[in-house]
Amino acid sequence: MTNHWIDIRNSDCILIMGSNAASNHPISFKYVTEAQKRGAKLISVDPRFTQTSAKADIYAPLRSGTDIAFLGGMINYILDKKLYNEEYVKNYTNAPFIVGKDYSFKNGLFSGYRKNPPASVTAGGYDKSKWAFELDNNGVPKMDRNLSNSRCVFQLLKKHYSRYNTKLVSKITGTPEQDLLTVYKTYAATGAKGKAGTSMYAMGWTQHTVGVQNIRTMAIIQLLLGNMGVAGGGINALRGESNVQGSTDHCLLWHIWPGYLKTPRSSDDTLDAYLKRWTPASKDPMSANWWQNTPKYMVSLLKSYFGDKATKENEFGYQWMPKVDDGKDYSWLTLFDEMYKGTFKGFMAWGQNPACSGSNANKNRKAMAKLDWMVNVNIFDNETGSFWRGPGMNPSTIKTEVFMLPCCVSVEKEGSITNSGRWMQWRYQGPKPLGNSLSDGHIIMQLGHKIKELYKKQGALPEPILNLKWDYETHGHFDSHKVAKEINGYFHEDVEIQGVLYKKGTLVPNFTKLQADGSTSSANWLYCNSYTEKGNMAARKGLEDAPNKIGLYPDFAWCWPLNRRIIYNRASVDPKGQPYDTQDWVIRWTGNKWIGDVPDGGWPPLQNLDGTLNPKSKYPFIMRKHGYGQIFGPGLTDGPFPEHYEPLECPVETNYMNPKQKISPVAPVYLTEADLTTEGTCDPRFPYVCSTYRVTEHWQTGLMTRPQPWLLELQPQVFVEMSEELSKLRGIKNGERVMVSSARGTLECTAIVTQRFKPFKIGGTIVHEVGVPWHFGWRWPEKGTEDSINLLTPPTGDPNTRIPETKAFMVNITKL
Amino acid sequence: MNVTRREFIQITGATAAGLAVSGLGIGLSPVKSHAQMLKTKYAKETSTICCYCAVGCGAIVHTSQKGDGRVINIEGDPDHIINKGSLCPKGAALSQLTENSNRLLDPMYRAPYAKEWKPVSWEWALSEIAKRIQETRDSSFQHKNEKKQIVNRAMGIASVGSAAMDNEECWIYQALMRALGLVYIEHQARI
Amino acid sequence: MSNSFFIDTTLCTACRACQVACKQWHDLPAEITQNRGTYENPPDVSFNTYKVVRMRENVIDGKLNWLFFPEQCRHCIEPPCQDIAGDENAIYTDAKTGAVIYTANTKYLNFEEIREACPYNIPRKSSDGTMAKCDMCNDRVHNGLLPACVQTCPTGAMNFGKREEMLDLAQKRLLEVKAKYPKAELIDPNDVRVIYLVAYEPTLYHEFAIASNAAFDMTRQVALRKIFRPLKNIASHLF
Repeated sequence: MTNHWIDIRNSDCILIMGSNAASNHPISFKYVTEAQKRGAKLISVDPRFTQTSAKADIYAPLRSGTDIAFLGGMINYILDKKLYNEEYVKNYTNAPFIVGKDYSFKNGLFSGYRKNPPASVTAGGYDKSKWAFELDNNGVPKMDRNLSNSRCVFQLLKKHYSRYNTKLVSKITGTPEQDLLTVYKTYAATGAKGKAGTSMYAMGWTQHTVGVQNIRTMAIIQLLLGNMGVAGGGINALRGESNVQGSTDHCLLWHIWPGYLKTPRSSDDTLDAYLKRWTPASKDPMSANWWQNTPKYMVSLLKSYFGDKATKENEFGYQWMPKVDDGKDYSWLTLFDEMYKGTFKGFMAWGQNPACSGSNANKNRKAMAKLDWMVNVNIFDNETGSFWRGPGMNPSTIKTEVFMLPCCVSVEKEGSITNSGRWMQWRYQGPKPLGNSLSDGHIIMQLGHKIKELYKKQGALPEPILNLKWDYETHGHFDSHKVAKEINGYFHEDVEIQGVLYKKGTLVPNFTKLQADGSTSSANWLYCNSYTEKGNMAARKGLEDAPNKIGLYPDFAWCWPLNRRIIYNRASVDPKGQPYDTQDWVIRWTGNKWIGDVPDGGWPPLQNLDGTLNPKSKYPFIMRKHGYGQIFGPGLTDGPFPEHYEPLECPVETNYMNPKQKISPVAPVYLTEADLTTEGTCDPRFPYVCSTYRVTEHWQTGLMTRPQPWLLELQPQVFVEMSEELSKLRGIKNGERVMVSSARGTLECTAIVTQRFKPFKIGGTIVHEVGVPWHFGWRWPEKGTEDSINLLTPPTGDPNTRIPETKAFMVNITKL
Repeated sequence: MNVTRREFIQITGATAAGLAVSGLGIGLSPVKSHAQMLKTKYAKETSTICCYCAVGCGAIVHTSQKGDGRVINIEGDPDHIINKGSLCPKGAALSQLTENSNRLLDPMYRAPYAKEWKPVSWEWALSEIAKRIQETRDSSFQHKNEKKQIVNRAMGIASVGSAAMDNEECWIYQALMRALGLVYIEHQARI
Repeated sequence: MSNSFFIDTTLCTACRACQVACKQWHDLPAEITQNRGTYENPPDVSFNTYKVVRMRENVIDGKLNWLFFPEQCRHCIEPPCQDIAGDENAIYTDAKTGAVIYTANTKYLNFEEIREACPYNIPRKSSDGTMAKCDMCNDRVHNGLLPACVQTCPTGAMNFGKREEMLDLAQKRLLEVKAKYPKAELIDPNDVRVIYLVAYEPTLYHEFAIASNAAFDMTRQVALRKIFRPLKNIASHLF
């Protein structure tokens, strides 16, 4: 979230799309409700009428996988009716930038497209240099602040989305035109100065072959309306796991290292080469270009990995660490593809249940049988650890050794987690771990010690293992405080910064003090400021609000970066530093300083009081190289503007927006015999659109909730929701068990026949959609009658993130 | 009727609904006692943050200071600035996640081609895992890739997880995996 | 003056935290259920389930509505169940809180009589005849805590406090929601301590959402019982 949970109450219009927040983030509705009581409008856009829709002022249905068409229509509406915040767009976004002559968009393809050889996972890719901005002689992007140059971003945007007229959008999405216009009009009203609109989304936007671009489309809308940085605005990803924010920040992901540093590539043969390649340089003195600090953060991270063993002479241990090959992908879908092909002997499934959570789970389950060994750490026995005795498995033919280790639950240990609003919160131990279960931290530490012991004797490249700093224990037990302090970082020498002496061994006060010479450590620069000499900031419980009284509560817990509660907040003020919203203001320039939230950098406003430019200022979007919000995004894999493409499996023969390009031209589609799809056809065997989702009573694969009788009482069985019309067509009665099938698998479900699903009229034909929650698996409930809908989901995903497309695929439903 | 929390859980796990509980409800006391004592009165109170979605709601954990030292109640923390005492159904059931007879209590091992689990000691399990890791890492270790670039990576092991761990656990976990040379490191954020 | 609940169904999201929080506080076991083609579960209130959120799909004025109704004992101001039981050791009203309390002695009562006396069809019994229903978390209320269901409610649908405050809040919210829902009403506010605000006709939410017309009139059965009530119970009424 760019903003945070409490801030939702400050909104004038809340668009919940790609999420059923009332069910899946129920406490968010405390603030949605509060906003509604203050007069805010709530809009719910969803293929299915949900609990969120039930509370909404406006509900609009759309067919799964057509969000870009829906939102692209809104961009068109905003531009056509001139409802954007012109001052904001001209000053804070890249709308004035001039795009190079090589950029074009024709027949559903952007310029620079090259096809890959047949039988590649992706059909093709883009040469992104074709989308580059034109630079002046100093290397600064050329701009037309009047937004009239035909190659400026604003004009290209207008041209691109002029195609998204409501008639065509309605033909694609199935949303009645009147509903589209109602949503557009209501939301676009937040473009007025002082009004704020917010976007609450979740996996309903990410789990598509156009996932990133779904969110980009909304980001463009928010930039046009001036809704980024303001209270009650922003782009708010409602993250689904208690610490998925923290675990992402600490980068349990192949492509990033803690603090979103790039994973070294094999061509980055030295630390210097790495830093040169990944540290962006801006030639514009007014661009803060915050990532110019990359060397400080990378070296401080290496100091945390290896402590005193990391020296300037040995490149702080850079050479010991693994490198990934340039241009190769190592993400989840690829990982299981490789496992299926027998690449791995060993596998750790630590606090995760991929036998149910991965798309095309049948493939994942089969892949596990190719392993020599698996370590499975969990609270309960689960479908992953016990895959060898699951449905269709014959244990006597499965070689895989499995070690199943019992970890304790969160109330039995101490440590911190980071919520969706970036708040790091400390929690304490209540009871001791039950039975012989142990905290994950203790298990990891012990395993590390065992491995270190082995490598003391012998082994391949032992240095990274032996030199890894591994002293996070007190009296033989994992000590989360010691790690939390390391994450914040220490001075490793006496360091003088701007006249202040910081003593060796003390905690670094914040990341502006980190150094690139090895004199500081910080295991994650983003969290530098979270555990300082003042104490454990995440444990704070202060209930005092900030002077602007917008619910920032700066003394409650701690949030990254630097306890800034609303990021991009320097875009909440006009160029003279005065808030667009004088009532719910975030920051304000008093003439010599900012008050309110922690500003995105303390530089003065862009303009002096007389309207002249203040050269000491910096542009507000400090994490972007050029300092501007990106309406045109030339860095993405699938194009600088979002474009509507159909899901890999879809119910239409034609992409009505792009008759010559049906699906994303760069989406990965895996190719083994376990990866069957109906790509490119409207396969009559699977005529219905299916989406997966969650219910409030279960969580993720259900592994932590299905063994709980109280929650199972509320939602005991996997179900498929369908319209009354479809139930009649298929002769299915409410409450009876039915078979749902896709090209990849089958699943028995209980039918819920409901008015909350309605058939869509798409391009003149009727399209039915159904939905299935993904929380079930055969291990719990113990009868073994239920299983995961991911047995049916497709082997494809977003080209940027490779998050699988589990929100739109094709199925059939038959009576049992 | 004095049924301890754990006995209660066992009963719940083992029997059909309704069989075992007559008289458990507080209101069913045969005598009128208006100023009833709270079941949490002598319990230790600790604060926690809910382990499910990422709203980050605060909850109060009541742990018995007598007997088995187990959880007797978990409810929303009224002093938590986000949820102000409220919790969703999953959060409201946190005590049943903790005190649950289905939990794993010992390390378990499944040998190749075996049909069942057998309980093992932590010492044995961690030593054996460490051996497997070393064997696989070293046999699959690449100092250089096909282009002869130094890559220092272990290609025979992959890891997934976990957004269910604390920040501090996530950090040491990725540090250990990366020090081992793993490049296939993924978790819930990818799905 | 005793307490009341105010349940604003226009704010209920059917998250059912109230159902679980109730079971959690009261240590009530789960029921073995199955999906019956609806989210609503367990199918009914029971000896082990004091609270069930009813969910109904209704097309009203051409628009689909999903109506949610967290059903529970209304803690009637003059509880017919208490009247018909006529045994204060089995069913009584806690004068301080207003909670209508069922004790273990309910097993000596005639269950069908008690259930039929309830205008909202709430009381349920166990296999040994003991009856149970919502007890207002009387122990919590006496100790200054909110009932578990109220405390856990995310949106403010569930409210609890002094009766006048709850009546004021109910009237205030009724006025507010009337702008959006002209047919909104409070259900039986003068007769019960659990006051529901509904946006539409109460029976659209649940068959027993509102007391039937005759329910608060003295039924023949209650009248007879009152006439023939044993002296000891009449005496207890005089306190």
